[in-house]
Amino acid sequence: MAIIDIKNITKVYNSDQIPVHALNGIDLQIEAGEFTAIVGPSGSGKTTLLNILGGLDDPTSGNININGVDLFSLNQKQLTEYRLHHIGFVFQSYNLIPVLTARENIEFILQIQGKDAKHFRQRSLELLEAVGLVDKADKMPSELSGGQQQRVAVARALASNPDFVLADEPTANLDSASTSNLLDIMATMNSELGITFIFSTHDQRVVERATRIVTLVDGKIFSDENR
Amino acid sequence: MSSRAIIVLSWKNVWRNPVRSGIVILSVVVATWSGIFMVGFFNGMTVQFVRDQLQNYTSHIQIHDTRYVDESLPEFTIREADQIINSLQAFDFVTQVTPRTVINGLISSANNNYGVTIEGVRPDLEVQTTAIHSYLIEGEYLTGSLRNPVFIGSDLAQKLAVQLRSRIVLTFQDKQGNITAGAFRIEGIFKTPNKAFNEGNILVRADDLNRLLGDEQAVHEIIVMVDDYMKSEDYALQIQSVLSNEVVVRSWKDLSPMLKYIESSMDISMYLVMVILIIALCFGVINTMLMAVLERTAELGMLRAVGLNKFKSFTMIMLETTFLTMIGSPLGLLLGWSFNAWYGEKGIDLAFFSKGLELYGFNSMIYPELGLTYYLDITLLMLLATVFSAIFPALKALKLNPVEAIRKH
Repeated sequence: MAIIDIKNITKVYNSDQIPVHALNGIDLQIEAGEFTAIVGPSGSGKTTLLNILGGLDDPTSGNININGVDLFSLNQKQLTEYRLHHIGFVFQSYNLIPVLTARENIEFILQIQGKDAKHFRQRSLELLEAVGLVDKADKMPSELSGGQQQRVAVARALASNPDFVLADEPTANLDSASTSNLLDIMATMNSELGITFIFSTHDQRVVERATRIVTLVDGKIFSDENR
Repeated sequence: MSSRAIIVLSWKNVWRNPVRSGIVILSVVVATWSGIFMVGFFNGMTVQFVRDQLQNYTSHIQIHDTRYVDESLPEFTIREADQIINSLQAFDFVTQVTPRTVINGLISSANNNYGVTIEGVRPDLEVQTTAIHSYLIEGEYLTGSLRNPVFIGSDLAQKLAVQLRSRIVLTFQDKQGNITAGAFRIEGIFKTPNKAFNEGNILVRADDLNRLLGDEQAVHEIIVMVDDYMKSEDYALQIQSVLSNEVVVRSWKDLSPMLKYIESSMDISMYLVMVILIIALCFGVINTMLMAVLERTAELGMLRAVGLNKFKSFTMIMLETTFLTMIGSPLGLLLGWSFNAWYGEKGIDLAFFSKGLELYGFNSMIYPELGLTYYLDITLLMLLATVFSAIFPALKALKLNPVEAIRKH
């Protein structure tokens, strides 16, 4: 069953000057438990699609339905709330809060959700264990390697039990070993826990692990391949 | 739980850049300390000036014959002054009373002569009521064995080229309108902080002056001191209500509009000083917090992306500023209070400027003082100002587009 239904999404930047068509009528359905890589050359619209899918950017036209919710019928406040509870984000530059420890970075999401202390302590340690960093729970981000920081970022993305995780070039700043490690973790979470991952990537190593590869060219779906 | 998370994160953000936060905290400390000390200094100077003026010259309340108020002629004496003085004892708030004979006349030495106000006092009562005697620098205060003693200011003595025991002549109009004169000897010389008073006023015994005036019982002025000079207006009305309309009772605020103005404008001046300091501080805070927001663009964008709403983002920045102020303000308050307490006890000696200060009647020894309410007001002002300064950077954080903010990393 499709948890995400993208219908005829377009995105035009600078529409009143020299228009740039970043997305040209994207139709896409994502099923629960998919491990989808969105690939394509630079400027093909991967990040734009992910931003729109995450409710961070508005489309010029079209709509997105997530589990029956029309994403763009929500106002800004509802969208923010929706992201907090339903979407996990992993960014290329990890973007951990530098003044909080690994554990606190994960707990912060649960705290702003209003979860009680007992719940978020236990949950953060479970997640750190899942990404193999329970021994680094009290380390500051500056004390962790890039790969470790990105694993904490994955754990943070999963903290709120989201419907799906959006990862924008998650391995772009990682070396081979860290990339492999991170992909192993995400693949395990996908296969064992059924977590839906959607990546935008250039990285062939990520593409190789994906179960579905959507290729964008010039803002259009060039190919959509299931493995 | 979410509020706690924001508070904790804000607190940790404060210490993200300890040097920068330290500078802001130091600015708050210095602004609060210097503001409080400066305000305490000016307040102490002004309060002391008002008190000195009242204690030495104006007194709290004066009673005159109604006609004397319009024209200070020798014949306009207070009728039944002794009865009035006795009736004043009935008021709990009256602490001291003394009658005076006051005449404008001419003082002449062998070298020179000047116009002066001659105050005929009862030395035993006067010393309990005013403080002129405490400014004695040479000789005695009208209590020696000399016949017709006079107590004059050092500046006048200098102008007349006279010294202790020198003979001077006082010439004035008696009660019948005739010119009369009497020889007096300088028994004491005073030097108050008020140069104009030192040059223009002399004190003699009322008995000696009244004899020359031709009225042994003459009283032109009754000086009344009360327990709280700030209530003088009310007290004057109470006294007036039991006296006849032949006399007029006036508080120092009626007698000296200048003192009234100084007293009433003191608050405004002090808050003006604080506001100027706080405005300067606000620019520092705005600059620092703006830097803090701009260097965390990507992080703030990420927080918005993962679901931190605008209100919480705004609160986080506001809290960071509030924490900076909450650390700096108490330290500044404590320092300011300590300085005011220490110098309030020891005094600040401005002897170097004493000549200039004397011209305006100020004492060169300043004792800073500040009421508790000022400390509270200043703290509140600081808090409001710094929180106000944080609004612009916090709004800047609100306007961040998460997508663009994250891309800037």
